[in-house]
Amino acid sequence: WRRSGERKAPLSLSLSHTHKAASSSNLNRRNQNQTREMPEDDEDQSPPSDLRSQPPCSPNKSRNCISSSSSQTFPDHVLENVLENVLQFLDSRCDRNAASLVCKLWWKVEGLTRSEVFIGNCYALSPARLTQRFKRVRSLLLKGKPRFADFNLMPPDWGANFAPWVSTMAKAYPWLEKVDLKRMFVTDDDLALLAESFPGFKELVLVCCEGFGTSGIAVVANKCRKLKVLDLIESEVTDDEVDWVSCFPEDVTCLESLAFDCVEAPINFKALEGLVGRSPSLRKLRLNRFVSLEEVRRLLLLGAPQLTSLGTGSFSRGDQSDEQEPPDYAAAFRACKSVVCLSGFRELMPEYLPAILPVCANLTSLNFSYANISPDMFKPIIHSCHKLQIFWALDSICDEGLQAVAATCKELRELRIFPFDPREDSEGPVSELGLQAISEGCRKLESLLYFCQRMTNAALIAMSHNCPELTVFRLCIMGRHRPDHVTGKAMDEGFGAIVKNCKKLTRLAVSGLLTDQAFRYMGEYGKLIRTLSVAFAGDSDMALRHVLEGCPRLQKLEIRDSPFGDVALRSGMHRYYNMRFVWMSACSLSMGCCKDVARAMPNLVVEVIGSDDDDENREFVETLYMYRSLDGPRKDAPQFVTIL
Amino acid sequence: MEGCPISRETCPKLLDLIPQERKWYHDKEKNNSDQEKKLELRLAPPGGDEEDLSAMKKKKNLETRNNIKKEAEDKPIFNLSGNHFSPSNKTTYAPPHISHKRTAPGPVVGWPPVRSFRKNLASSSSSKLGNDQINKSGEGEKQVEPKREGMFVKINMDSVPIGRKVDLNAYSTYEQLSLAVDKLFRGLLAAQRDTSGGEGEEQPIIGLLNGKGEFTLTYEDNEGDKMLVGDVPWQMFVSSVKRLRVIKSSEISSALKCKLLCSYGNMFYSHN
Repeated sequence: WRRSGERKAPLSLSLSHTHKAASSSNLNRRNQNQTREMPEDDEDQSPPSDLRSQPPCSPNKSRNCISSSSSQTFPDHVLENVLENVLQFLDSRCDRNAASLVCKLWWKVEGLTRSEVFIGNCYALSPARLTQRFKRVRSLLLKGKPRFADFNLMPPDWGANFAPWVSTMAKAYPWLEKVDLKRMFVTDDDLALLAESFPGFKELVLVCCEGFGTSGIAVVANKCRKLKVLDLIESEVTDDEVDWVSCFPEDVTCLESLAFDCVEAPINFKALEGLVGRSPSLRKLRLNRFVSLEEVRRLLLLGAPQLTSLGTGSFSRGDQSDEQEPPDYAAAFRACKSVVCLSGFRELMPEYLPAILPVCANLTSLNFSYANISPDMFKPIIHSCHKLQIFWALDSICDEGLQAVAATCKELRELRIFPFDPREDSEGPVSELGLQAISEGCRKLESLLYFCQRMTNAALIAMSHNCPELTVFRLCIMGRHRPDHVTGKAMDEGFGAIVKNCKKLTRLAVSGLLTDQAFRYMGEYGKLIRTLSVAFAGDSDMALRHVLEGCPRLQKLEIRDSPFGDVALRSGMHRYYNMRFVWMSACSLSMGCCKDVARAMPNLVVEVIGSDDDDENREFVETLYMYRSLDGPRKDAPQFVTIL
Repeated sequence: MEGCPISRETCPKLLDLIPQERKWYHDKEKNNSDQEKKLELRLAPPGGDEEDLSAMKKKKNLETRNNIKKEAEDKPIFNLSGNHFSPSNKTTYAPPHISHKRTAPGPVVGWPPVRSFRKNLASSSSSKLGNDQINKSGEGEKQVEPKREGMFVKINMDSVPIGRKVDLNAYSTYEQLSLAVDKLFRGLLAAQRDTSGGEGEEQPIIGLLNGKGEFTLTYEDNEGDKMLVGDVPWQMFVSSVKRLRVIKSSEISSALKCKLLCSYGNMFYSHN
C-alpha cells in the first residue's frame, strides 16, 4: 500500500487532503504559553518552534465537514498544491519548523512534505503523533536515553524501546528508507520487523544502542535487499553465534557502508571477503577486533581503491608465525588511494604501525583511541598527517605527542583525548602543557574532549584566546574537585574565559574545583550554550540559578553530585518547557519540590528514579530526569521509576 | 558441607566475627529465612549479591535498602571479589551528601565518564606491547562494571539458528528457568521442524532438567566448563553461569546422564 501522494501527482493529493482540512482555517492559533517545541538537533541554532497537535476537535469536525468541503474554494486547492511543490525543497529542519508556524495551511502542508524527521527524545511524543503529523516520512532519527545512562547512572531496562516506533511505522510508512537510532533499546524482533516491513529500506545506523544481537543483524542483512548502510557504532551487540556476514544476499549488493567495529564476536572471514568482493559501491568498512592484520591486507587487495573510510580491526597478526617474513602491509595501504578516515587498531602491534604511512598524507580523520601508542611511536606517524581535521587518541601519546599534533595538524577541527587508565588517581600523561600546545598550533579547533589529571586556568585562558572557533568544549579533570595544580585556585577563571571568549560555544562540560563564580560566568556569557554537563561542582543553589536564568538557549542540562537544591530547581521553571531534558542526580532535591514542579507543569514528565516512597528515610531524590512531552507520561516506565 | 550449600552451622560462626555495629545482621538472620540466602558462603559482599544484581531493579524493601546504605558507609567486610561487585555499585544509592565537596577515596559510579567499552584498555594484551611509559597492571579491571546488571546470558538451542537471551535475575528457581526456556523456544522449534509449511503443533519443551525430555539444559561456567544445569544451588549457578545451551538429550554421554538423574533426585528429596 503506497500513498498516491508522490511528487508525480501532487494535485490529486492536495484535493484529497483538503477534504480533511476543511476546518483548519477556522481554528485559532495555539496560545503562546502552551507552545510545544520540536526537539532540535545539536547544531540547530534557530529558535524552537511548535510541534502542534491537531486540535482535539478537528477529527470530529472534519467528519462533519465532509459535506461542506465543497465550500472550499478553488484558489485554496491551488494554494495548497503550489505550497506543496515549494515546500518539498526545504531540507533544513529549522526552515521547516519556521515554515510550519506561518499558518495552519502551511503547518499542514509542511507536515505532508517532510521526509526526514528528527526526534531528540523518544518520550517527547508518541509514535501515533508522529504518524499523524507527518505522512510521508522516509527517514527517522530517534534518540532515547539521556547521555548519563552511558556511565551506569541509570538502571538498565529504563526504557527507550524501539518496539512501539517500529510497529507503528511499519503500518504508516511502508516506504521508510532510513532509521538512525541513538541510545535506544532495540531487540532482535524489532530488527526483524523492520527488515520485513520496509522493502525499500536503505540505511540502518545504531549508535550506543543495545538489546539486540547478531541474530537481529543477520535478519537485516538478509532481508533488506536495498541496504546501503549498516553502521553499528559503539553499540552492545550480543554474540548469538550467528554467521550474519553470510546472510547477505549472494548477488551484487548495494552496500556503501558497513561498520561493525563494536561487535564483540568473531566473524566468518571468508564470507566477508566474498561480500566485499561483490559490493562495488563499498566506501566505508569498519572491521571489528576479530579481523587480523593479514585479513585486512587481503580485503584491501580486493577493494582498496574505492574505500574512503577504513576501520582496521585488531591491527595485529592472528598467527604469530615469526619465522616467516611478514607480508608487505604497507603495499596494501599504498593501494588505499582514497582513504581519508582511518580507525580500528584495537589490539595494535606497534611494529606494524608504519604500514599506514602511505595513507597519512590524505587523512582527514584518524582514530587511535584504542591504541596504546607511545610518543616515540606516534610522532613519525602524525608528522605526515598534514590534512588531519579529526583526531581521537589515548593520552598515552603524552603531552609530547600533543605537541607533535600541534606542530603538524594545522587544519585540526576536532580533538578527543581519552584516558588509557580511567581512574581518578592514575598517572596523567597529558596535562595543561599538551592543551596549551594544541591551542597554539591548532587555531581552527572547534571541538575538544580532553581527559587529564591536572590542568591550569592559564591553559584554558590561552585556549579561549587562541581558538575562537570553539563550539564544543569538554574538559574532564579526572580527580574530583581538583584545583589549578599550579596556583591551587579553583578552575573558575579558566572556564570563565572559555565561555567569555569563545563566542560560538554551544556545548560545555566542566570539571575540577569550581565555585559559584564559574556558573556566574556561564550565565553571563554563555548565551549560545545548548548542552551543559556538570559534575561535582558549585557551592550552592545560586550556581544553578545563574545558568537557568542566564542561558536562554539551554536545551540539555545534565548534573550529577552537585549541591543544588529546591531553590535552584524552582528558579528554572520558566525554562523547562523550552528544554529537551534536565537530569540531576545525587543533588539536594527534595521529593516535595519535584512534586511541586510536576504539578505546576503538566506537560513536563518528571521522573524520579530510585528514590524511596518513604520520605523519612531519604532526604533527597537520587535521580531526577524530566522532559517535556506532548503525550503525557509514558506507559512503559519500570518499577524503579516514579513519574510524579 | 554434606552436599548442602547452605550451611547453618558455619554461618553464625562467621557472624561472630562481625563487629558490634553489624549486630542487626545477626538478629535478622534468625527471623528471616530470606536473609539466609544472603549469608551463603560465596565470594561476594554479604547481602550484596542479590541487591547488586537487582539493585538496579530496586526491590522496594526498606530493609534491604538499609543494608545497602550501611554497606556503602562502612566498607564491606567480605569484599573478596572486586571485579564483579565493586563498592562503587552501591554508592549509586548512597545519600547524595556523601559525595559532595569531599575527595571521597573510593571509586564512584560512572566517574570518570568513560564508556565501559573504553575502560578495559589497561588490561588488554596491547598494554604490554609498545608503550613502556604507561605500564599499568590489570588494575583497570576494578573499574570494569558489569555490562548488564540485569544478568542477561545468551541461550542457544540445538537446531534453532536464532539465539536468545534470558535475564537470570527474573527467576529464582530452576523450574522457573525451565519454563522460560520452553516459552522462548517452543515457537522457534516448531517453526524449525515444520518443513511442510503448514501449521504444526507446538510441543512444549519439558524435561530439561531431569534428563527425561528430548532436550536438556546445560551451561558453560566462568571457567569454561560445560555443566548440566541443576546440580548446584540456584545462587551459585547464577554467579558462575556464562551462557546456556539447550542440547539434545541424546548427545549427553550416558555417564553424565546418570549423574543428572541422580543429582536431580537428590535435589528433590534431600533436606536443605
